[in-house]
Amino acid sequence: MKNTKSFTRSYLIKQLPSATAYLNTDLELVHASDNWIEALDLTKKNVFGKNIYELLEHADEDWLDSLNDSLLGYHRKGLTSFVNNDGFEKWFEWMHLPWYDEHENIIGTIMQVNDISESYGDQLEIERLQSLLQSQSEIAKVGVWEFNLITKKLRWCQMTKKIHEVSEDFEPSIETGIDFYKQGHSRNTISMLVHKAIADGTPFSEKLQIVTAKNNEKWILSAGKAISKEGKLIRLIGTFQDIDEQVKSEIKTQENQKLLNTLLDSLPMNVYVKDKESRKILVNQSECEYLGVRDKKELLGKNDFELYDKSIARISRDEDVEVMKTLTPIIGKETISVKKDGTSTTFLTSKIPLLDMDGNANGVIGLSMDITQLKEKENELRNLINVTAIQNKKLISFAHIVSHNLRSHTANFSMLLNFLVKEKDETEKKRIINMLTYASDNLMRTLEDLNEVVSINTNVNVERKSLNMNKKLRKIQQNLSALLDEHRVTIVNEIADTFSVWSVPAYLESILLNLITNAVKYRHPERELVIRFKAFNKGGFTIFSIEDNGMGIDMAKNGEKLFGMYKTFHNNEDSRGIGLYITKNQVEAMGGSIKASSELNKGTTFNVYFKNEENR
Amino acid sequence: MKKIDSIYIVDDDPITVFGVSKMLGMVVECDDITTFNNGREALDDFIRRLDSNKKLPDVIFLDINMPIMDGWGFLEEFLKLDVSKKIRINIITSSIDPADYEKWLRYKQTTHHFIDYKNKPVFKIEEQDIDHIDMAS
Repeated sequence: MKNTKSFTRSYLIKQLPSATAYLNTDLELVHASDNWIEALDLTKKNVFGKNIYELLEHADEDWLDSLNDSLLGYHRKGLTSFVNNDGFEKWFEWMHLPWYDEHENIIGTIMQVNDISESYGDQLEIERLQSLLQSQSEIAKVGVWEFNLITKKLRWCQMTKKIHEVSEDFEPSIETGIDFYKQGHSRNTISMLVHKAIADGTPFSEKLQIVTAKNNEKWILSAGKAISKEGKLIRLIGTFQDIDEQVKSEIKTQENQKLLNTLLDSLPMNVYVKDKESRKILVNQSECEYLGVRDKKELLGKNDFELYDKSIARISRDEDVEVMKTLTPIIGKETISVKKDGTSTTFLTSKIPLLDMDGNANGVIGLSMDITQLKEKENELRNLINVTAIQNKKLISFAHIVSHNLRSHTANFSMLLNFLVKEKDETEKKRIINMLTYASDNLMRTLEDLNEVVSINTNVNVERKSLNMNKKLRKIQQNLSALLDEHRVTIVNEIADTFSVWSVPAYLESILLNLITNAVKYRHPERELVIRFKAFNKGGFTIFSIEDNGMGIDMAKNGEKLFGMYKTFHNNEDSRGIGLYITKNQVEAMGGSIKASSELNKGTTFNVYFKNEENR
Repeated sequence: MKKIDSIYIVDDDPITVFGVSKMLGMVVECDDITTFNNGREALDDFIRRLDSNKKLPDVIFLDINMPIMDGWGFLEEFLKLDVSKKIRINIITSSIDPADYEKWLRYKQTTHHFIDYKNKPVFKIEEQDIDHIDMAS
């Protein structure tokens, strides 16, 4: 029928469920199903009678060219992508067939397309994922395995084989697979995990060690999961990851961390790290012990104000800020730390700025060594040196006194003897002999004096007692009553009757005797003598004060020599210059001291410091 | 026998005073030998003589360890006085303290007077020990 040739639309073809089009030999569209028109996105156009190239300008030309083949009687089919007007890519399976008339003449071509975009896209996605997975598996060294519970066959992927260091054609079994695990913990664990997974589907993921075919030990992460179908476990699938490097570096890090912690905790010094706000972010065992806490966590996050005395915390915080600001460490500074409870510790402290990657201070590293005991030892030693130095000085001075005094007498002896030998005159000889006797008496007296001084200084540990001051004073006054009465001395005693002093009894008597007789000896010729006693306690010492209104001493000139041996400052017949020297020796032998203040023609005050019993 | 106008002996020890006087008597002829118990007394007398233009001593025998004012205290004050006459001072001491010897060296260099230093015992005073007398006086 000519009608068929002229572009009458066949209603039959329009309704075909498949996307089919009929083109004449000029490749002009004659018939088309609605599905075809829709599939090729031509609904908005007048399509019939148009050339296919014109209709599908953007279509793959190879695809359209193959239409010509079917005009020659060939069947063609294939796959093509097609971008519609909205820019969506579609995938078509296509087929081109020759269109015959009833006389088997080719009058055109039948074009069929099948939109497979959906299923083809899935396929592509799978391929894409697979290749992605493969490259990922190679990078991350993750292999997969699959164990079929029905066939009991174990399948390893290439990566899994690579990790095991077996050849690509290696055929594993569940037994050989498990045997690759290192004997002991690893093999026991995997056996148990696989068993459990098979028994009740428990998934697993465990870090274990294998020994490869080439006998290398490796850390791997083995994970597995059961797959069931219709309530029955059919297979185990899992991954197998080479984590040797990670685990080894992890172990190394852990070891380093442990080493560092052990080191820090066994250091006999306090170590801490503080953040910018001086809050502790790391402390070692010594620091915990010093601050009296069991758990490091009790210190972390705390600042110095929460742990130490306020003023100490202020100093410490200022140091921290300075170190962070200047980036200059404090090294080996002697610091005193006072805790909240008041206990004080001397530390040798170093503070080092904690730098971040950019070289900015992020905090402070602190190292403090407790040198309290060392410090105490040092002080003891220093005291000892001082004591020794003073003793040494005293000894030298005493040696000079001895040598001077003995020398002056012996010099006199030899001079007088020299005279005596040459002297002819009898009266002069007698005079010289008298002189010699005098010199001998002097020497005896000097020796007695020296002996007394020596005995004071050697009997340092003579027992001291608590003595009632007034009782002793009354005793001395009684002994001196003749002297005191003779010079009409007035004594004013301001000391309470209960007042006591800790002293060697004999020394106290000697001291009081010397000071009172001294006051009488050096009374002022123009007025009656008044002596005043006072006593009080101060700073661990009992201070006895004796004040007179006597001649006084020029302290500027003679203050230094006042307590020297054989130093006298008055032209007094009975002043021998030994009393104050002995007094000073007695007071010092008991750990005390004696001080004088005086004004010429006004009077003198001596203050004697006795060490208290509790201060010994 | 040498003749000297005036001599001071400053010493609190009567034996030394006796000895020095005795030894002086052997070498020198002097009508004015004055003894003092300490530096203060000697200084006071010297100042009195200086103020009243009386004869000043030519030689002073000086002890170091004395009460009230010792030998060094005396020297300290004496050297402050404006005395044009060159006076010889003989320190006689039993001290063997090196500090005393050094003090002597120091004083010796700071004055136009002649200062000598002798350790006891002294057995004889030679003529040269009282020499060095300022003839201008």
